[in-house]
Amino acid sequence: MTMTGGWHPVALSTSIEPASSAGTHIGGGEFVVWRDGSGAAHVWEDRCPHRGMKLSFGFVRGDHIACLYHGWQYDAAGRCRYIPAHPDLEVPKTITVPAYRTVEAAGMIWASRDPEPATAPADPGEVVPVRSLYLAASAETVLQVVEGFPPRPFGGDAGPAGLEPVGANLHRLDIGPDTLLLGLQRLSDERTALHIVIAGPAETYSGEGQKHFLAWTAALRHRLESAPAADAVLSTEAV
Amino acid sequence: MAGIVFHNYELDECCYKVRLALSMLGLEWQTVAVDAFPGSEQVSPLYLAMNPLGSLPILKDGGLVLHGAETILAHLARSRDPSGRWLPAGGGEFAGVMQWLVFSAASLSVTVRARSSALFDTPGDEEAPRASAAKALRIMDDHMTARGFDGADWFAAGHATIADIALFPAFALSRDYGVDHDEYPALRRWARRFRAVPGFMTMPGIPDYH
Ligand code: FES
Repeated sequence: MTMTGGWHPVALSTSIEPASSAGTHIGGGEFVVWRDGSGAAHVWEDRCPHRGMKLSFGFVRGDHIACLYHGWQYDAAGRCRYIPAHPDLEVPKTITVPAYRTVEAAGMIWASRDPEPATAPADPGEVVPVRSLYLAASAETVLQVVEGFPPRPFGGDAGPAGLEPVGANLHRLDIGPDTLLLGLQRLSDERTALHIVIAGPAETYSGEGQKHFLAWTAALRHRLESAPAADAVLSTEAV
Repeated sequence: MAGIVFHNYELDECCYKVRLALSMLGLEWQTVAVDAFPGSEQVSPLYLAMNPLGSLPILKDGGLVLHGAETILAHLARSRDPSGRWLPAGGGEFAGVMQWLVFSAASLSVTVRARSSALFDTPGDEEAPRASAAKALRIMDDHMTARGFDGADWFAAGHATIADIALFPAFALSRDYGVDHDEYPALRRWARRFRAVPGFMTMPGIPDYH
């Protein structure tokens, strides 16, 4: 499979509402992220065992996700429970969708293929979501541009910014009194999602604070897209 | 007779905008089916007399013959919705609706080209319209992300307006032209809300989750 070891963020928690699903990629592989009716998040291979259609095109009912094409239904463990064309059939338990370990931390949904992943992403306390930013660049390039072009703090004067990894795909960006957490999702070698939350209370950041950092994400994206030679320049600088 | 007569082609997303509006406003209307594909009936002399642009939808209302989905939406809202919710008269909300209607008719029309070249094999490059379409959807997703921080669920007002109706088909049908919903989380949430508006209906290419 294309998912490497360790934890990978796949969405902001708030982007996947109960009883909804979305498709995503890790390392070029296709995954479905869905939340059942009770609120538990799941990350599976995005492929229906029947004819290989994308499960992310389907829909969630209660604790089942149903494939759009012929309505096969899968329970939260990934096992097929119902085949509409054969309503009386006891579905063989071999019909399953590969499911990944899924946790929620730092306002993001994380997946891992490891049966016992080393450490779950640390819980930073209260966070306020900003957005998931989708960028046509490698994860390394994205990090370099973030480091070279940090946001201004929301509350105070511009101070030195610091970017440091706090997990395999989780980075902490300190800017003055503010802290952003950046989840890095390697969609493919040249496409990256940056899941961004503010570490801090909603009381402080809700509304204006979110908009402040949202404006930075647009400028960051613009910077990446308007400098086609960014990769080359940055790697020269890095040398 | 002051009834509404709607010249419709089922697979046309601009006709779908009008069907949505008629249904969500709770109106009664009469449909005339147009053989747009493969018949190209909309460019026959009979239809060119109603709309010299040779496009659908066309709506007749009493003595009016209107073409262009956004115009028709505005007419229906203004003439048939006494509450004024679908086309608010107030400054900011009215301006917001107009801005997104124009966006829908202009910038977002690239999605119509992308879809028709993908579905009906109309000649032309497929990749360029797809990339422009993805960029237009991104503008919408950026807007709805920011709206969310103001606690607003809809494009131009605190409730659904004809702007939401005009914008929905391009997003809901994007898989027809090869753009997935993966990278538009704010639009996914908005589309779920839109589906719950009374009078919502689907069209071919937009699944009905029953
Ligand atoms: S492909 Fe999923 S049910 Fe047939």
